[in-house]
Amino acid sequence: MRIVFCGAGALGSHALMLCRNLEADLRVVDFDRVESKNLAAQWYVKQSVGKHKAEAVRLQLANFYGVKAEGIVARLAATNAAQLLAGCELAVDCFDNADSRLVLAAAARAAGVALLHGALAADGTFGLVRWDQRFVPDREDGEGQPTCEGGEHLPIIGLTAATLARAIADFVGSALQRDYVVSLSGVASQV
Amino acid sequence: MTILNITYQGQSADYDLAMDYATSDGDIRRIAVEVVRSGGARGLHVPNLPTDAFTSYVVDRLRGPDGQPRIYLRPKVPFGA
Repeated sequence: MRIVFCGAGALGSHALMLCRNLEADLRVVDFDRVESKNLAAQWYVKQSVGKHKAEAVRLQLANFYGVKAEGIVARLAATNAAQLLAGCELAVDCFDNADSRLVLAAAARAAGVALLHGALAADGTFGLVRWDQRFVPDREDGEGQPTCEGGEHLPIIGLTAATLARAIADFVGSALQRDYVVSLSGVASQV
Repeated sequence: MTILNITYQGQSADYDLAMDYATSDGDIRRIAVEVVRSGGARGLHVPNLPTDAFTSYVVDRLRGPDGQPRIYLRPKVPFGA
């Protein structure tokens, strides 16, 4: 099975790291570069700064664990989404905005690719792991809303990424599609 | 019976909601404020909760693993990367 991770920021980078033992080929799509501020909340190291995230995460998986992954430096859009999803049975949405999530969802549905979404609240108190058939993307309350990038919310990022990895493993192992809500009280299965 | 799950400031709690599953989102938010103020949801008691605390929250209507209708009142989750 080939899995494509769309977005390699806080959630995506940690989820990728936690999926390193899966019997699956991993592909990661991200256009952005690692900045020093990302080290606080994303699975990158000092040597990654300046590299494209897709390449940095590929290198870390290879150098730390001997795991091969495919890194694609690209901004997913309606014009290239089908190509980026080609050959994949599962897509994992770790984007940080509703518009990109909608583009990915449309492409995944058109291609018949299963789609799992991971999402975080801005205040670091809540996370959501939900399959596409029950997911509606939320928009920011306003431009410039504080995000999770400061590092103070790393525990909920880690908890949500771990839950995402568990949901992915269940799908890879038994095609199970279970949703989860993640709060500081714990993780609860929804469906 | 419908379960109303409320998440607020990182804490999450269930409340047995003696109302119709199709109760409007606005009513769910108003009820939730009263439930949290009164401590009706075990582990989630904020006596001075502002009236508009859940204004921007999302109301999800789902079935639980046991098939029971559940309503989730939760913060927006716009971020991931």
